[in-house]
Parts: sequence; structure tokens; C-alpha cells
Amino acid sequence: MQSSDGTIVRRVLAGDAEQYRLLVERYRAEFGRYAVASVGDLDAAQDAMQEAFIRAFDALATCRDPDRFGAWFFRILTNQCRNVLARRRDTVPLEEVDPPGGDRADEGLERGELGAALGAALARLTPEQREAFVMKHVDGRSYEEMAELLGVGVDALKMRVHRARDALRSLMGALR
Amino acid sequence: MKEWDGFSADAHRYLDGEPFEELSGAELAAADRLTAEVRDYAARLAPLDPSLDVEVMAAVLRRAPARRPGVLAWLLAPRTVRFRPVWVPVLAAAAALVLLVAPRGKRPAGPEVAAAPARTADTVFVRFELEAPQARTVSVAGSFNGWRVGALTMVRDARGMWSATAPLPLGEHRYEFVIDGTRWVPDPTAHAEVDDGFGGRNSVIVVGPKGLVRS
Amino acid sequence: MNLLRRTVVAALFLAVPVVLAAQDAGVDGRLQTRGLPASLAHRVAVVAAAAAARGVPDGPLADKAIEGWAKQVPPDRIVVAVQRFADQMVRARDAVLTAGIATPQGPVIAAAAEAMRSGMRAEQVRRVVQAAGAGVIAAPGLSVAAALSAQGLGSDQATRIVVGAMQSHRSMQELLDMPSVARVWHDQGMSPGDIEHRMLDGGWNGGGNQGSGRTGDWGDRPPTVAPGTHDHDGHSHYR
Repeated sequence: MQSSDGTIVRRVLAGDAEQYRLLVERYRAEFGRYAVASVGDLDAAQDAMQEAFIRAFDALATCRDPDRFGAWFFRILTNQCRNVLARRRDTVPLEEVDPPGGDRADEGLERGELGAALGAALARLTPEQREAFVMKHVDGRSYEEMAELLGVGVDALKMRVHRARDALRSLMGALR
Repeated sequence: MKEWDGFSADAHRYLDGEPFEELSGAELAAADRLTAEVRDYAARLAPLDPSLDVEVMAAVLRRAPARRPGVLAWLLAPRTVRFRPVWVPVLAAAAALVLLVAPRGKRPAGPEVAAAPARTADTVFVRFELEAPQARTVSVAGSFNGWRVGALTMVRDARGMWSATAPLPLGEHRYEFVIDGTRWVPDPTAHAEVDDGFGGRNSVIVVGPKGLVRS
Repeated sequence: MNLLRRTVVAALFLAVPVVLAAQDAGVDGRLQTRGLPASLAHRVAVVAAAAAARGVPDGPLADKAIEGWAKQVPPDRIVVAVQRFADQMVRARDAVLTAGIATPQGPVIAAAAEAMRSGMRAEQVRRVVQAAGAGVIAAPGLSVAAALSAQGLGSDQATRIVVGAMQSHRSMQELLDMPSVARVWHDQGMSPGDIEHRMLDGGWNGGGNQGSGRTGDWGDRPPTVAPGTHDHDGHSHYR
């Protein structure tokens, strides 16, 4: 029988820090993919997630609803991912992405290139659009789940995802 | 002049797994292409290293030296217990009492918690196929993706054969194909079919390290 | 609310730890996060808590409710199906107990319930669990037996094969490959008797029993194709 988040948080706050490991395992599994997909780099995502867990531990007493640790942690993780991506963007060049309005024939592209182009294009979306797109398309979450995790309404989330798709299509040119 | 290269509203509905009115061949192709590229991108994503846990806990334990929780905290902190037969009637009564007084109408507890897997490396790519020339969308929903209709969408070839490939953990999985977002059909090529408890059927596959075999 | 709960807990301290309140919040919360309406989530959580009190895991019950919701089954029918599944798991737990396992674990109970739902008898469940000892191979063994019995082998034969494989200490990986292998052989026209014989000899695994020296000889099989690669015709995997 698995312990609920609330149970574990209360134990940690009562002094049993070792219990925090259960939350780390659980949410590395649950949100790891999201972190790697939205940051676009394994090492950077690893850093973001590690930092997020440590900050969450430090701030654990401020978590108002321990039974909803996951959603609370997700916000912290999202912030860390944004920070890490902003730092990387300053150093990683984006030449391989098509300029908007560029013209490339489909046949010329190997699939591996397209995967890389998507990664670079994702980095150019607004943070909200990128995160919503990853949650929807990479994690396969329903809009309701996303609303629960982000505390944003379903309609607003749909708009973010739709705009993200439109922007990606434009950025990647080859989808025309 | 910059062209607006967005998807049509119907293409967005298609990608959201919702009913749509009309979709041109070009729009459908572009939408499927996006999905395929995401799948390719996602397939290259390496999982986070479990050594992350070690690093985090090292930092955590430096901040909070392990000490046994006080007796009062032990009393007040709910905890799990392995069930022994002698507890059962007492537990049932306690449960009834607590459920009567427990707070109702509270907003839900945390997001869905994926059971922490014992090993993260034991997955195998599994290919799903379905012949459905009349379908507009097909996806695979099952125990491995929380029965989410939009999580594993399939791609169609010229002859109406739909396919998708996904990494699945070793072991037993139950699933169905979802056609046009609403019609659930089992997989004729699965290992077995079982009653789903709702009047329908689920397909069952047992995934071993060699993957699934189709003759 | 926190104070009220602590008061209740303190009052019940003489009786029992209040784990079920936490579990109730767990199932309830999980279902609501997946979009199930609160009323339905509450009803399922009550069923789950009662089932947990009888020693069966609540995870599969929550999964079943999520499945029903995804399939757009009306809430009343979801609750009925969850209750029925809980009852099946209680019966499955009894079958596992007869194998001499003092505290049946969640995964084994769930696997036994699914196996019995697909037609395995309590007696067959007992034999598989017994052969597995107290090991983690019990749950996959049950899944494999159930899947094998749907591959043109009867449940008696499937049980014999799995029990035999466990007694010869086949690995979990080898067990999990069995349904696929049986399917290939069945489609190639092999008789159930021959399938059983070959399975128990382990001839498909490139090693088999010590000293048999057989190479993997279970016929052609198309490799499972990973996304982003080309299949052997040289065509791209995606359009």
C-alpha cells in the first residue's frame, strides 16, 4: 500500500527527513519526462529537477496543502526549468531552426533532423506555451489534469496549446 | 508579408482528440506530421538518472539531521500498516467513523501519482497496428498510459492501416484502440481478450524482453 | 479541519492507526485529479477503503474507475464494476492464501484476480503461486498462465507449463516471453502438446537447459521497430 503525499510530507515535517526520498522517487518518475522535454537537455533538466527538490524541501513548511504536494512541487519545478532554459538560451545557438517563412522541401529532411528542429523550436515558444505543449503532447495529459497541476482553466490551456502548435508549424516550415 | 502558418480550428480539434467537421488532406498531413515529430523527439528523451535521488537526499540530510520523530508526532501522523487479520474488524469500524467525520468537499489531493517503478530501464518497444480505413483518428489507451485517449495516437498509411510504437514496461498490459475518440475496440492480434467489467472487452498483452511477436 | 482530524486520531489511538483516512484521501484525490467528478470519486474511495480493510489493494480499483471514466461509462455502472472487481480480488486473495502465503501482496492479488476473470480456477492459481514460493515471480507467472491459456492451450496446460518453468528456475524474462512464443508456434501449426513440450525444454532461448546447446530456433520474427528508425525494407517508419 502506497503512502499518500500528505502522509509523507507530514512525516518529514515531524522530523523524519529520510522519508522525503519517497517523494523524490515518485516525482522524478512522474515529472522527469516533462523536465527533459521542456528543457531539451538531459543534464540541464537533471540540474533543474535536483534544484527543485531541494528548494521544495527547504520550503516544505510553506506547502499549504500537503495532500497536493505534487501540484505544488510542479510549480517549483516549472520555475527551475524556465531558469535553466533561459541560462542555456544565452549560450546555445539556434541556427538549425528554419527562420519563419523559410522554404524547405519535406524530402530533404531526415527524421533525426526534424526531432532536433522540434527541440530548438520548443525553446523559442513562450514558457507557458512550451510547458502546455509538452504536458499535452509529450506527457499525454488531459486538459483537466493540466488544469489541476497548473491551477489554470481548461480554456486558457487549450489556447496555449493551440498557439504553441501554430508557432511550431511556423517555426519549422517543413510542416507546410 | 508574413503568412499566418497556424493550424485550422478543425485541425486543433483533431489533435485534441475531439470531433471535427472537415479536414483537408494537407491539414491532416501537417497535423500527423507534428504528432510524428513529437513522438520522435520524445523517443529520444533519456530518462533522468536515479542518481539524482542520491544527490538530493545528500543535500536534504545535510540540512536536517535524521532524528527519530517525537512520540507526539508519531501518534498524530497517519501511517500505513500491513494488514493482519486481527486488525480487520477494528479497522472497518474505525474507517466508518473516520469517514463520517473526515472533511468533505475539500479540493482533491495531489496529482495522479505514478507508482514508482522498481526499475526504470526495463522497457521494450511495442508496435500496435489496426486496419481501419474508415477511421479519422485512432489511438491506443490502456493500463500503461492511464487510459488516456490522447496519449498514444496512431498514424495511418495509404491503405488504411494505422500504427504506433511505444516503449512499454515488461509485464502484462490491458488496452483498447479508440476510434474517432469515442469507439473502443479490442486488438485482434493481442494475446488475449478479457471482460472489462463495463460490458466491453479489453485486449491483454504480456510484454517480454524480446518484444511482441507477430507472425 | 486539521485540529478536528487530530482529535479524532487521538481518540482512536486506542483502537487502531487511522491509515484508512489517508488512503481515502489518496484514491479520492487521485480520481479527482484525473477529472472524475467529486461525487463519483468519493463513492469509489469508500469502496476502496472497505476493500483495503479486507486486505486487497486499492490501486487497481482506482485504475478501474479511471478506465471506466475514460470509456465514458455512467458513474453508477463504474461504482458497480469497481465493487465487483473488489469482490473478485477478495476471492483471489483467498486463493492465494490457500497456497500458504500468509500476507498476500497487492500485485499478486491483482494478478490472481485478472487471471481468474479470464477463466483460471482457484486451484490453478494456488498451484502457480505455490510454485513461485514467496518470490516476485508469482504475479507475472499468473499473467503468463492466463495469456497462455488463450493461445490455443487449455488452462490446465498453461498452468502446467508455468509451474514447470518456475520449478526449473526459468527467469522472469523467459516467462514473460512465453505468450508471444506460444502464439508464433500456434500460428505455425504446432500442436498444443508440442508447444508444451518445447516450452518446457526451453529450446527457444538460445541456451535452454544446461548443456543442451540449442541455438535460438523459434523461427523468423519481424523485429519490433523503434520509432525514428527504418524497417528492413528501407522505408521510413513514419510517412
